[in-house]
Amino acid sequence: MKKVIIYLIVIVIMFGVGFGVSDYVFSDRTPTQPINFSHKIHARDNEIPCMYCHIYAERSRVSGVPNVKRCMGCHVIIKRDSPEIKKLTTYWENEEPIPWIKVHKLPDHVYFPHKRHIKAEVRCQTCHGEVQWMDVVTREAPLKMGWCLNCHKQREVKNGRDCWTCHK
Amino acid sequence: MLNRRDFLRLIGLGGVGTGAGFALSESTKKKAAGLIPYVVPPEEVIPGVANWYASLCTQCSAGCGVIVRVMEGRAKKIEGNPSHPVNKGKLCARGQAALQSLYNPDRIEGPLKRTGERGSGKFEKISWDEGLALLATKLKEQRQAGSADGLYVLTSSQRGHLGKLIDTFCKGYGTKNHIQHELLQQRNLTLANQIAFGIDEMPHYDIENANLLLSFGADFLGTWVSPVSYAKAYGNMRQGRATVRGKLIQFEPRMSQTGANADQWVPVKPGSEGLLAMGISAAILEGGYYKKSDRDEWAALLKGYDIKDIAHKCDVSEERIGEMARLFATTRQSLAIGGEGAASCEGGVSNIVAINILNHLGGAIGRKGGVFPNPSVPLQGKPSFKGIGDVAMAASTSRLKTLILCNSNPLFGAPKGMKLDEAFRKIPFIASFSTFMDESTETADLILPSSTSLEEWGDDFTEPSVRYGVATIMQPVVSPFYDTKSAGDIFISLAKGVGGGTAKALPWSDFHSYLKGEWKRRYRNYRGSKEATFEVFWNKVLADGGWWPSQKPVSRSLSISSRRVRGQLPTRPARYDGDEKGFPLYLTLYPQIGYYDGRGANLPWLQEMPDPMTSVVWGSWIEMNPKTAKGMGIKEGDVVTVESPHGTISAPVYHYPAIRPDTIAVPIGQGHSSYGKYAVGRGANPIDLLPHKLDKRTGALALNATRVKITKGGSGGKLVKMEGSTDERDRGIVKTVAPEKI
Repeated sequence: MKKVIIYLIVIVIMFGVGFGVSDYVFSDRTPTQPINFSHKIHARDNEIPCMYCHIYAERSRVSGVPNVKRCMGCHVIIKRDSPEIKKLTTYWENEEPIPWIKVHKLPDHVYFPHKRHIKAEVRCQTCHGEVQWMDVVTREAPLKMGWCLNCHKQREVKNGRDCWTCHK
Repeated sequence: MLNRRDFLRLIGLGGVGTGAGFALSESTKKKAAGLIPYVVPPEEVIPGVANWYASLCTQCSAGCGVIVRVMEGRAKKIEGNPSHPVNKGKLCARGQAALQSLYNPDRIEGPLKRTGERGSGKFEKISWDEGLALLATKLKEQRQAGSADGLYVLTSSQRGHLGKLIDTFCKGYGTKNHIQHELLQQRNLTLANQIAFGIDEMPHYDIENANLLLSFGADFLGTWVSPVSYAKAYGNMRQGRATVRGKLIQFEPRMSQTGANADQWVPVKPGSEGLLAMGISAAILEGGYYKKSDRDEWAALLKGYDIKDIAHKCDVSEERIGEMARLFATTRQSLAIGGEGAASCEGGVSNIVAINILNHLGGAIGRKGGVFPNPSVPLQGKPSFKGIGDVAMAASTSRLKTLILCNSNPLFGAPKGMKLDEAFRKIPFIASFSTFMDESTETADLILPSSTSLEEWGDDFTEPSVRYGVATIMQPVVSPFYDTKSAGDIFISLAKGVGGGTAKALPWSDFHSYLKGEWKRRYRNYRGSKEATFEVFWNKVLADGGWWPSQKPVSRSLSISSRRVRGQLPTRPARYDGDEKGFPLYLTLYPQIGYYDGRGANLPWLQEMPDPMTSVVWGSWIEMNPKTAKGMGIKEGDVVTVESPHGTISAPVYHYPAIRPDTIAVPIGQGHSSYGKYAVGRGANPIDLLPHKLDKRTGALALNATRVKITKGGSGGKLVKMEGSTDERDRGIVKTVAPEKI
């Protein structure tokens, strides 16, 4: 009997270990991107504003992944010899989009407009973390409903707790 | 303590635990989603923000303006164009469903060449170059053989520059046979107006301001001529004015959607609508309500019309005709219109002439709430009455060498007696430019599919217009989904392949440049243009959805004289085939609001839409008065066989109290043998029951032309309807009064 309990305890502990390894070591918070793009170099070191590349954020629901032409706008001159920029040039020459992996995902039933949040002067970093310090982008905020509502409550958003505000 | 065996067990269990934990965590992770950027962003697109483009609806011939919501290159929703003068922001179900033509899984995805027997449906894919070369070679050979006039081009109704381009193509090639054919083309109405008023274009009916509207079988809220525009006008006639609520009286043997909205529904005997109009006219004269100087002329013309006799023939009481006459003549702003019920039968032209006379005697012509002239329609000369009958004739006498079909489906809308399918088999070469594989396209040897209206350029000069000229532009709102070309481009490429005079007649690089060039000419010739340059003008046209520069009603007058209509009047009710004993019931066919002439049957939204009167979905039905049905022991939903002297169909019965007991009605549009998975094998095609009765002058098919008999049994689908019981079980929910008692 005692043995069975020990067995169970071991199973539960090891289950937790396995789960943890998967969640932290093989995390989807920090996916490997096709090009090793550093937000730190762009946003911090060179002080490029977010919306210089994410051009639709003020106008649309989505902020917009920078189009390849926009990258090439600078990199046609800057650091052309770096191996990562060479990857970029290859995509551009082949007229192919860069297959980035999404880091900040919301389910389909959530309506999240970037436009409104920027109008309300929410900093990009509130949801996306301190991106300007990240060499590799990782998801820091949980992006769960409770977390969203917390902020809506604190900022006393008009209709901010109405179901239809986000689920429509 | 821990022995070796326990130790191994622990390790094993630990391993299982770790694995399970790992697996669970992995399985809850969402699949890595791609975040794919544009390489070069399109100029007009902001992801997540919709663009609305103005264009033209081609689901029927009304010519409504639409706006289409497009997100990231995908059309998502169609609405009416609020600034368009015809539909003023409204749109019907068929217009809304045009989206499903675009995304339809049964579209022809690229050029096809027949491989099997003709009509077997076996085709192989070929390239555009190959397909165009094949047809061009055929046409070249045919012309060299001296039979250029053996080319027939059969298209749907084309009032815009595509129609003119095809005319030019035919002329350049050496044939006059560009025929525009649709089942519901209002040819009889056109000819009747030509006879009565001497006008080539349809007049404007000012329903909006009418105080009394007599409608002789015109389902103007459902399918007649320009239903969206009329429905909007009707709304104003009933509720839009502070002082008066217009009155609608509908004469028809089977209650249509419009009839259901009427103040009075008068179930006249089928085919007697024109005669009834004559009766009312005669009663106006007899009652002394018409006092103008030409009174005696009309009295002489209408001398032979005995009201008592007419009352008997129309099955409407004499007093009622007298009362109608009094109302019509004494109400200011009264109007009479005649629809399919009056026009689509033997003598349909004279029935409409009779209704025009009634309008004259009631003082409706050129007066507010009456009949107004429209400006002449550009690109259109005298209306052509060449029709499907000419094609059948040419094919059966082997005069027809090559037939080009372009979104016209004559085989669906032709009665068996016409033997059009046999005639088609005699045609040496058939090419089809249609978007969908329909009954006619299936017989083609070569298919060069055209794009849908959401993918191509075009324009339209609305007819009937709204007392001033309206030109609507059609622009591609999305890029073509499949390997299809616009019909105009196909003709231009073909002309280049054929060479010679044909190529010279069509020198343009593509249809867009031709269209833009023609509009530029119009812009230059128009003196009142406010825009400085053509490019500014053109951009404004694209933004507005068209051009309606002068919104001042055309200054012409309509007049009718007794001399002109002499000998053009109805003298008896339309004849129906079949003797009364063998075939006791009248058959009346009507275009259903969703399927229209059959073209809507491949769109699931329209199949799914309950019929406004019966609530039936996804099938055909036969409307019988419950009294007649019960007398024959037919329950609702029983499948029956309808037999006319010309054919049989079978379908389930719907007990319809709003139809004369001596009449049955069947909607048109179902019973396709080919038209995609949503249309095929669904319901029955009632055109099969009709005789081969084309109007001699206009070539229009009579939809009200035969008697039928009904026998129980037959093969047919189930009756699927939205409503529960129509019986109010003596609760007195809806109280009705017979018209005679009012």
